[in-house]
Amino acid sequence: MRRPIRISFVVVALGFLLGAPPAFSVRWDCPEDLDGDGIRDIDIPGVECRHLAAGDGMVTMGDGSHMYIFGFADVTDQPLDNIVASGTLGANFSAPTITVKEGDILYLTVTNVGMALRPDLFDAHSVHWHGFPNAAAVFDGLPDASIAVRMGASLSYFYKVVTPGTFMYHCHVEVVEHMQMGMLGNLYVRPAQDDNITLRNLGTARFPGAPAFAGFAYNDNDASTGYDNAFVLQIAAFDPAFHNQSEEVQPLPFAAMDDRYPMLNGRGYPDTVNPDPIVTAPLDGVTPSQRLSSLITASPGQRILLRISSLSTTSFHTLESGGIPMRVVGRDAALLRGPSLDNGITPGIDLSYDANSVTVGGGQSTDVLLQIPQIPFVVPGETTYFLYVRELEHMNNDKDRFGGMMTEIRVQ
Amino acid sequence: MTAFTRTRNRQGGKGMDRPMKRWTLALLGIAVSALLWNPAATAAISGVKGDTFFLDATTGFIDTGEGNRVPFWGFADGQTGQVQYPGPTLIVTEGQPVTVTLRNWLPEPVSLVFGGQDNVVAPAGQRGLIAAEARTGGGTVTYHFTPARPGTYYYHSATNMDTQLVMGLFGALIVRPAGYNAADNTTWRAYNDNASRYTREFLFLVSEMDDRFNTAVETGQPLDTTTFFPVYWFINGRNAPDTMSPDRVPYLPTQPYGAMAMMHPGDNVLVRIVNMGVDPHPFHTHGNHVRIIARDGRLRSTNEGVAGADLSELAFSVTTAPGRTVDAIFQWTGKDLGWDIYGDPAVNGHTCVDRGDGFDNTTVEWCVDHGKAFPVVLPNLEDLDFGPFWSGSPFMGETGVLPVGVTRFNFTGGYFMMWHSHNEKELTNNDVFPGGFMTFMDVEPPWIAIPEVP
Repeated sequence: MRRPIRISFVVVALGFLLGAPPAFSVRWDCPEDLDGDGIRDIDIPGVECRHLAAGDGMVTMGDGSHMYIFGFADVTDQPLDNIVASGTLGANFSAPTITVKEGDILYLTVTNVGMALRPDLFDAHSVHWHGFPNAAAVFDGLPDASIAVRMGASLSYFYKVVTPGTFMYHCHVEVVEHMQMGMLGNLYVRPAQDDNITLRNLGTARFPGAPAFAGFAYNDNDASTGYDNAFVLQIAAFDPAFHNQSEEVQPLPFAAMDDRYPMLNGRGYPDTVNPDPIVTAPLDGVTPSQRLSSLITASPGQRILLRISSLSTTSFHTLESGGIPMRVVGRDAALLRGPSLDNGITPGIDLSYDANSVTVGGGQSTDVLLQIPQIPFVVPGETTYFLYVRELEHMNNDKDRFGGMMTEIRVQ
Repeated sequence: MTAFTRTRNRQGGKGMDRPMKRWTLALLGIAVSALLWNPAATAAISGVKGDTFFLDATTGFIDTGEGNRVPFWGFADGQTGQVQYPGPTLIVTEGQPVTVTLRNWLPEPVSLVFGGQDNVVAPAGQRGLIAAEARTGGGTVTYHFTPARPGTYYYHSATNMDTQLVMGLFGALIVRPAGYNAADNTTWRAYNDNASRYTREFLFLVSEMDDRFNTAVETGQPLDTTTFFPVYWFINGRNAPDTMSPDRVPYLPTQPYGAMAMMHPGDNVLVRIVNMGVDPHPFHTHGNHVRIIARDGRLRSTNEGVAGADLSELAFSVTTAPGRTVDAIFQWTGKDLGWDIYGDPAVNGHTCVDRGDGFDNTTVEWCVDHGKAFPVVLPNLEDLDFGPFWSGSPFMGETGVLPVGVTRFNFTGGYFMMWHSHNEKELTNNDVFPGGFMTFMDVEPPWIAIPEVP
């Protein structure tokens, strides 16, 4: 399955980019960068700056094969005059996770570094914060209705973050292609309630010696979404034929799109439980291509928040938790609670529910709490629970059976 | 769900054979209607109103978004005889007896079932497995029912459903509350509860098609429904970009219903979603969440009329499952952008007076953000690609300078929000991107007139 990367192509493309640089318009809007060199100089409370490079790269599938992708790399605090060089062929899958807090201002800059392995392409890129409430066209990233940034230039998005929850982001240019090719990432907003010490301390009443809650999924006012540890899980899948056709500069199979590498956070099992970054040789042999593990670790009695989202381009998926029931508390970046009928004086009706599985379609998110049992051990030491896709044909890495969209919850 | 086992050998892909002419036509339609208040683009739900309906089941052809023609079976409104995909939207009233007479010109028996309706009777007609049927060769059958509840429903054939539904024998059924008066917008509710009040309403009936299957039916080939593999996805019977064309455009005679939505900031938009296909779709609304207030014609309420939609929930991608309907409320105001949506007041003269809820009564501006400067420097024009719905300015109601040669269909400074299936593969027409299950919600500045719901 392992296919050689055409290094000569890379070298030629890099030579083109580095040897004869056009007039780059690389810049970013960030109030924390006082001298405009791309590196933050001060920390302003409530202001976040992130810089993403949009381009291409290679990743490793669960069966060891390599896959050509389009994607984003985190180049925050990289000198602006080095963004194109450092971002080229640096695409990560999943894209860098973006985390902000309710009340923050986020300046998110995307610099288009071009697709080095596809020098025939001149595609623009964008960032679509999927689900952003009351979005304005200019910062929605929708190429049809706004602007997208060309190669060698930067576009800064501005978000006043007022809604907590589990969102996601992706490039919206040539969206079927760019999303199937991998320009997908986790994005979530922590609630202002995380600062409420009284509610956090309610966690200590759970059992003797219990800690305060580390945070909350939403502003629930009753600590019902409190958690000790939180993890993101993003569903996505690749069609190898589509990626290979792209790499080989052939017509893309839209109608025949058939996902054969189902993944969580950009990896197929067993890579999902590898706690370390994955490096895809032989690009530079150093820079990780897949940084985000999906291994869920917990200790007895803990409450775990899973921020589950899907950016599948083809189908719905059902994730089942074997052994540990799910408490579904949020959906699509909203607390599962009916509307308050008196402007918030009386809370809305609790719509959260217990389940063993959740079904998530592309562009949907679900927040799930896992209550780890106090005495979880079948045998002393460590007990492993599994979280896996019920569409069993997606429990594979292409022809390698038993892998794909699955991860482990290790209680120790 | 469908097994994606079939490999299709079709040409397509980037750039080469995009149906630019069709896009241009559709986009021009929007631009022209936005400029001239063309009543054909009215923000209403087109359909047949009343209590007595005549439907002819017959054959026709549809035009797909990339320029193909596909045979289909559909219903024609007996008054016009024009077969259409989907069938005529029947708009009836709660509590008023409804009579539907079906006449059949297809080569096999046809029948009707009405989703969510109780006690449907058909005194005459040929007995079928599920419902009374109309014989071939012009046979008729008449159905009687009295809609007990308002809401969003559907009708479709109940004969050989795996063939007849995917061929197009379906349509939407909207039951208005008994107190509905089209001339009095204070009576505009989807249900008998003020949580379902709206100022505009739109219907999105979604479906999909495998043109090989339709061709096999048309040419009398053996049918195999196990290999059904859709390559076309529709809203109101059209693929993008035709979804954005006005209702009843002459170049789409069998597809009279558009799916272009328009609103003003602050509007209360009722979104009626009906899935008459075979697959579920995540329906993503750019711009804002929707609040799902009803499913299958049932308000999400512990006590309809008293408690409001107290069991409703928010969603940014609505699950639309086959045979199910969803009613949702969409609002968009631009609240909390963090910058003045109308630009610098010294340049674009405007004021903001809090009417009590934080918004200006005329401009629906969020006054907290009034006068706040636009927060970032936009790139130079040569560093950008521009979409045809980009006005050239980030500010509502303003247009800006665009490079020579850039196509622009937004002359009023509206914000266009794409509403589409987030199974992104479905944004294609028979292997050609873009197209398929996609349309737009156009948020127009308050002073730009949008045709009202009749």
